[in-house]
Amino acid sequence: MAQLHHLYLAVGPARFRVASTWRQPLDQLAALYKDYPASQDGYADFTVRLEPEKPWRRYIRPSVHISGDYWLPDAAPLPLNQSLLAAEMGMNLQMALGWRRHLLLHASSVEKDGKALLMTGLSGSGKSTLSAMLAEKGWRFMGDEFALLNPDTGMVHSFPRLISLKNEAIAAMQAIVPDNRFGPLMKDTPKGDIRHIVPPLDSVNKMASTAKPALLLFPRFGYDPALRDMGKSEIFVRLTQASTNYVALGETGFRALTKFVDTVAVKAMDYQSGAQAEELIDGLWSELS
Amino acid sequence: MSQLYRATAPDGLIQHPLDSMTLIFQRSSGITHMVADPVPAIIEAMAEDILTAADVAQRLSSSFDLEDTVDAADIVLARLVELCSLGLVEQV
Repeated sequence: MAQLHHLYLAVGPARFRVASTWRQPLDQLAALYKDYPASQDGYADFTVRLEPEKPWRRYIRPSVHISGDYWLPDAAPLPLNQSLLAAEMGMNLQMALGWRRHLLLHASSVEKDGKALLMTGLSGSGKSTLSAMLAEKGWRFMGDEFALLNPDTGMVHSFPRLISLKNEAIAAMQAIVPDNRFGPLMKDTPKGDIRHIVPPLDSVNKMASTAKPALLLFPRFGYDPALRDMGKSEIFVRLTQASTNYVALGETGFRALTKFVDTVAVKAMDYQSGAQAEELIDGLWSELS
Repeated sequence: MSQLYRATAPDGLIQHPLDSMTLIFQRSSGITHMVADPVPAIIEAMAEDILTAADVAQRLSSSFDLEDTVDAADIVLARLVELCSLGLVEQV
């Protein structure tokens, strides 16, 4: 069997070993994660493996099969020109299925004044784009995919991986983020057009800093701007749906999530543009004690 | 003879009221249940005792104003059957 190339990445509290048949995704990752702390002791929480689906698919119409410590049996392979996406999906998969040190919420998060704003919702809600936009406007980017809630302290840990932009969000962010922070444009992926952004350097340098969760938003893009209260029961149920390890954590997860629901302000937010969302968020943030 | 029931021991459950609903985390199964009134009151009234539905209704009536026109024991029995299926109460 052919030797795999390796790259070690440390993002927040998690360390990954990405092993690949091809150099291409590792070179792209190395360039985009160049400002992240180096992991040199060979230790990793998870291994991601990017290998051809069949031996001949290494060369003939190369296709990248995602596996690793945790894997899905029905994961479709991606073409080699989408191998960066495959690597990112592989890391997400390891976290979603294997991480146990924190309660994992499928949410983006940004920080200001030591307090964290979390945004969760279905794909297309804009949580990733909003976090990327706020990161360019004075907030510290903590992550666009997973918020890591410490069950002992109640604090949110930063997990600032590359920001994954989809479709229309790419052009919107190109207007405010310099070109040298963008990864390659990957067209017609299973998720549409995808392009990654490197988070602001300050967010990377402060990835070890935690923040106290202060506000949780359920954004919904495409509706007249509005803010609505939500009942605690609905919030709790939606957060269990947004967590990939709530059940696995057992009583620890229950205590962490009930404490979160009891102590964090929550709103449902409808919006039609980034500017509207920013205005609504600024208003809510100024009301927090 | 009326069926006897026993609730999961209080130290096996963590109850957490939210708004109109209450969460019950069952330690033995790791399952989180979300229940509405009068389920939390029924479980609390049962404590660790072995009781019939009529016994439970009697205990509830001492704490709550139950309408005379309602057969409280029948209502409690229906909830006890549901709680048995959830594993929060067992038939003895």
